Amino acid sequence: MSTHDHFRELIEAYAIGSLDAAECAELEAHLASGCADCVKALEEARWLVSQLAYLAPNAQPSDMLKGRLLQTVRAEAAAGGQPRQEPVHSTGIPWWLWAGVAALLIFSVYSAWNERQLRSAVNNLQQQAEAQRAERQKLEQDLLAAKTQAHEAMIWSDPKSKKIMLQPKDPNMPQLEAMWHPELGLCVRGWKVPSPGEKRMLQLWLISKKSGKPMPSMTFWPDSNGTFSAMVENPPDTMSDTQALAITEEPMGGSPQPTSAPMWVGGVS
Amino acid sequence: MFLAIFSPKGNDEVSPDATLMQQLLRKDVSAFEELYERHSRIVYSLVLRILRQGTTAEEVVQDVFLQLWRNSARYDLSRPFVPWLLTLARNRALDHLRLKSERQRRREEQTEEFPQIATAAPEYEKALDEKRRAERVRSLMGSLPAAQKKAIELAYFEGLSHSEIAASLHEPLGTVKSWIRNGLLRLKEELQATS
Repeated sequence: MSTHDHFRELIEAYAIGSLDAAECAELEAHLASGCADCVKALEEARWLVSQLAYLAPNAQPSDMLKGRLLQTVRAEAAAGGQPRQEPVHSTGIPWWLWAGVAALLIFSVYSAWNERQLRSAVNNLQQQAEAQRAERQKLEQDLLAAKTQAHEAMIWSDPKSKKIMLQPKDPNMPQLEAMWHPELGLCVRGWKVPSPGEKRMLQLWLISKKSGKPMPSMTFWPDSNGTFSAMVENPPDTMSDTQALAITEEPMGGSPQPTSAPMWVGGVS
Repeated sequence: MFLAIFSPKGNDEVSPDATLMQQLLRKDVSAFEELYERHSRIVYSLVLRILRQGTTAEEVVQDVFLQLWRNSARYDLSRPFVPWLLTLARNRALDHLRLKSERQRRREEQTEEFPQIATAAPEYEKALDEKRRAERVRSLMGSLPAAQKKAIELAYFEGLSHSEIAASLHEPLGTVKSWIRNGLLRLKEELQATS
């Protein structure tokens, strides 16, 4: 078999596309060399191979395909034959762009709604937190008040406490009483006590046994019923070093030194 | 010798398809519609046989006809239209069927954008109309031994190589080569005999 005959036998397989790579390269080199007989045989073989399409079972494409194609070619013909990237869209904007815009709009509306929901939720949470903070503050105050009451009750009831009566300088004023515990502190209380003057309050003083000078202590004022109860957990001096207790009327905030005559006085030891 | 009966078609004979393709150069939508009406069935049948999936087949057919519309200037009016269109459709369908393998790139290089097919169609192309030729092709292929017919179908509809077909059918490589070549030669004889 000549070289030409060898290549001639490959023509049909080449036309149908079934030649393996090595033979394919050989044949292409031969065709490129200008063998007119093989070139003509190849052209005829390609025509023959194309006839194998009739082996395919008959089928018909959908009418929609024809519709899409005609819509596209009409649009391109109207646009001067310029190909369009997308086959169908009367507005010239591709469907995916519309879809993107729609998605963006939906997302924006959702985001705005979601933001409002979140803001509302945050406000609710803030209000709840504020209410809880106020509740906690009230509980702490109640707890402190309860502790103070308990502390005062212990001072008033403990046998180690010493009761001190404070006599008024004005006979029209009520008597006050105090109870001093050497470890728990000092309590003073009274009833039907008149309110001090405007912008003034009552202040307790401890009169030192050694120096005889008044040492400033707590300030307080009676309620609308004239009742008060005050406690000093850490008095400025011990009971044994204190000669007497005195109460004066002082400006708001109290004074380092008495600015008025004592209204009540009671001896301690 | 078969080649002796092949002769170029006369240039004075202009087929209806060639006339429509000339009109397509002027972006004549009605010519496009006429071409589609004439050939969409066989193109779709071929592509569907290769891809076996209707939606994908329609996408490929759409691609083929849009190529026809957009690149009509690149069609050689002296060449027979239908074999050229079928070759274009087959290539597009096989492109979808397989990944970009070496063989596929080779086929694309070989066929470029539009397929290079016979510049001189055999005389018997004129002797049979499309319907009768289709019947002859089916009749001849139906008469082949099942394994030989299968080998040709694997090559044409699946785009498989000789080696791949041999492996698929568990047959010697030489046998597969003979089946395909002899089958095609018998088809040629059959069409000649009919004419």
